[in-house]
Amino acid sequence: MNRSDIVADGLWNNNTIFVQLLGMCPLLGVTTSAENGFWMGAATLLVLLGSNLVVSLVRGVIPAHVRIPAYITIIAAFVTVVDMLMNAWMHQMYLVLGLFIPLIVVNCAIMGRAEAFASKNSPLDSCIDALSVGAGFTFALVLLGAVRELLGQGEVFGLEVFGESYPDMLMFILPPGAFIALGFILAAINALNQRRAARAQQTEHAVKAAATEVS
Amino acid sequence: MVLALFAVAVLATALLATTDMFTRAPIAEAQRKALHQALMQVLPEHANDPQQDMITVQRDGADLKVYPARDRHGRLLALAWEEIAPDGYSGSIRILMAVEPDGVLHAVRITDHRETPGLGDGIVHNQAWIDAFAGKDLQHTKWAVKKDGGDFDQFTGATITPRAVVRAVHAGLIFFAENREALLNGLRRQPVTDKEQMQ
Repeated sequence: MNRSDIVADGLWNNNTIFVQLLGMCPLLGVTTSAENGFWMGAATLLVLLGSNLVVSLVRGVIPAHVRIPAYITIIAAFVTVVDMLMNAWMHQMYLVLGLFIPLIVVNCAIMGRAEAFASKNSPLDSCIDALSVGAGFTFALVLLGAVRELLGQGEVFGLEVFGESYPDMLMFILPPGAFIALGFILAAINALNQRRAARAQQTEHAVKAAATEVS
Repeated sequence: MVLALFAVAVLATALLATTDMFTRAPIAEAQRKALHQALMQVLPEHANDPQQDMITVQRDGADLKVYPARDRHGRLLALAWEEIAPDGYSGSIRILMAVEPDGVLHAVRITDHRETPGLGDGIVHNQAWIDAFAGKDLQHTKWAVKKDGGDFDQFTGATITPRAVVRAVHAGLIFFAENREALLNGLRRQPVTDKEQMQ
């Protein structure tokens, strides 16, 4: 697999949230604001980078039938490291994200990357994959967080957008708002992708037609 | 196979031990700072370090940390401790409350909660509501929300949260009243500083 494909897959074509619909728990749980979404995404990216790198390094060494417990141990270790780092140097955000940081360990997207990619590819490719997938995940969390913060409080990243007179739509901060906002974002992305596919098909037809005329 | 798993476990343990070594002091410092900020909000202006002068007392079989605030002469101005309301709308609410030696509340702040944004979290964002605790005591206050015939406002759409906080602060005041002598005696023995000895 070539490297630009790895990047494009992680960021967009195979985006964890928008395409695979994995990792919904942190997505819906912490995205009450763009900032929360960003730091949750960053924490996940760091865990993903560590676990992908190590899993790739030991990929020849771990026997196939004990690979799952081995991966879990590796992922859990990195989650605990990130948990301690945030507790030490980002105490405020650590208190806000709370339980969702240790819960990264059960984010199936991370296990998925270890199993589907890192266990079969070189350390460098695995790191590129982790960075792309992590960035795509963070992008999704920030987008949803920004939409909810904007509609719910009239702010993005804590900055006033709609002004003081904006009537806060509380629902978007509450859990149902996460589902509703995510639904609309997914619909928009699907529409965008379909239009792109249709256009690609049209050009393909046009090229074929031109080719037949020439011959 | 066993060897491979063992090796992974050893590596993970080594990684965790190393991280713990480097983060232990910063984590303690961050927690100290967070507590310091909270204490600064509830305690009156003071000259001592409440965390350094902290005493531990027994309450229902558990340790309770009490943080005293003193003026320049070592006189006790107020003492603060953490009260936990177990019956919030979603989980426990942690409350820091400061009481003056005569049993009058100095201030109350919420340090941790999981209440509904926009409804129950008014206990944090509604400054007037939380400030209403200042100056209240056991004798002259009806310790309930207005809906239950008390002196404290509830919020529109959220009664459970304010009710839990009011109940917890009330329990804290009762605890203080019942143990007032012991608490004040425990805090009276203040180590004399060099400066005061010279005077």
